[in-house]
Amino acid sequence: MKKKLDLSGYIFILPSIVILTISVFYPIIWSFIASFKEIKMVDLRKARLWEVPGEFVSFDNYLTALNDPLFIKAIGNTFRFAIVYIPIILVFSIGIALLINDKFRGVGAVRTIVFMPYIISIVSAGVIFMSLFRSDNGIVNATLNTLGIEGVAWLGDGKYAMAVIAIMSAWRKIGYFMLMFLSGLQTIPSELYEAGDVDGTTYIQKFRYIIFPLLLKITSIVVILALVDVLKVFQEVYIMTGGGPDNSTITLPFLIYNEAFSYLRLGNGAAISYILFTVTVIVVIVQNKVLKKKMDY
Amino acid sequence: MRSIIVIFIVLIFGFPIYWLVAGSLKSDFEMSLNPPTMFPEELHFENFIAVWDRLDFLDVFKNSLFVSLTTTALIILFCSMGGYSLAKKNIKGKKILTTLILSTMIVPPTVLLIPLYFIITEIGLFDSLWGIILPFAVTSFGLVFMKQYIEGIPDELLEASRIDGCNEYRIFFTIVMPLLKPAIATLAIIEFSNNWNSFMMPLVLIKDTKLYTIPLKLASITNASDVMSWSQILSANVLAIIPVVILFLCTQKLFISGLMAGSVKG
Repeated sequence: MKKKLDLSGYIFILPSIVILTISVFYPIIWSFIASFKEIKMVDLRKARLWEVPGEFVSFDNYLTALNDPLFIKAIGNTFRFAIVYIPIILVFSIGIALLINDKFRGVGAVRTIVFMPYIISIVSAGVIFMSLFRSDNGIVNATLNTLGIEGVAWLGDGKYAMAVIAIMSAWRKIGYFMLMFLSGLQTIPSELYEAGDVDGTTYIQKFRYIIFPLLLKITSIVVILALVDVLKVFQEVYIMTGGGPDNSTITLPFLIYNEAFSYLRLGNGAAISYILFTVTVIVVIVQNKVLKKKMDY
Repeated sequence: MRSIIVIFIVLIFGFPIYWLVAGSLKSDFEMSLNPPTMFPEELHFENFIAVWDRLDFLDVFKNSLFVSLTTTALIILFCSMGGYSLAKKNIKGKKILTTLILSTMIVPPTVLLIPLYFIITEIGLFDSLWGIILPFAVTSFGLVFMKQYIEGIPDELLEASRIDGCNEYRIFFTIVMPLLKPAIATLAIIEFSNNWNSFMMPLVLIKDTKLYTIPLKLASITNASDVMSWSQILSANVLAIIPVVILFLCTQKLFISGLMAGSVKG
């Protein structure tokens, strides 16, 4: 039997290639070239689709970014976000996963409630936390007052605003990470537990030799995913503080947005994007290295 | 002891949502009380009608529904086709393509902001709902998710239909697609809620307030609390959340299993 030439495989993948080219592959290349150019909005309007307009300025955009106090501030703010966000994520998601792993009545409802914030948009979650942390009559300050502690202007104070944003983000994402730990815990075969029971091992021993190594492995994945989240913080800042007070909540994505669409310095924005991109790639490479090592033991 | 911890956790995670709903039902006067009231004294359901009218929420809802449904439908069609090709077809450069698709999953969305603004303007879709639909009608997550699922379909099944004389397109649409129902349902729920909540790209690509989607509208009123009262801002957010919450509660299992399948590989 003669085989006909089968092109269907190419036709099936074609829409994906066309769309990903327009929305990801080409933008990555375009952005890279743009980061070495000074681009004005006027140039952009006159340019053709396949052109990157503007004047070549070599590494000027990168140098401008690195010398910009706001850039340094944004990195510092990102750290301040991370040191609140990551510990809260780990403590709560591991704790709740261990709690839920023992089946008890109502466990399904608890899981649903913990996961629910994840499906609420960042915009709405931001609004909710703005109302909880209002300085004049928010419930958080009211609760502190009844305990005899003076309330603070949470989002209006550079010391606390970033922490509130981090707490909100953690509240949204804990359910997601908790499920990762939970699905890990549920891969432990019940025979392993039972074998332990027969031998008379204690819970502490079980935890030490079975549960702990597993949690450690998932933790390394979760920390990396959380770091990627940290590098993405934009909407929550846009909604809750607009970068203030005193630029204490400006993040790199927020800075990119501002450079490009408020100050119309597109080349600068592209350069900061590429710095951010490089950092993300490094984080992910480290992740793969760490995971490979963990697989070997 | 355990029940105390459980109550504590339920309070931490549930209270902000309760506070949103409670606030949306309070009167403006009650919202300004200090200390705030824990339960609304009277239920002011008219807040919802007021914001619905004031914000032209019907149009905003229509825009969001149109964008989310169309994008989701296209993602399902294109990602099933693409995933099938990557899983079952011999095409040149498949390995490189798969690696490329996987690596795009780590690109931070802000990196694409400026070039996408340029490209979408160039192809004439700036300030059009199609501009936030077409470029996002394929996702790397969707492709990888579908590829993984389709790899589980036995080759013998496809071979048998080939011997029966089915052409390749018929095999895909009449034999493969029906087998994908569970995967399609899962992907649909995830992508719908992603699009329903999508904010950054619409923020840059939509200027006409008549074309605003729900998150854009919510953002625009949040930063104008001098003209909107807090109870109305909260009511608007309740209205925005209801559709995804209902969708989630009805399809929880699929939603969660899909997310976990994606995260472990990613």
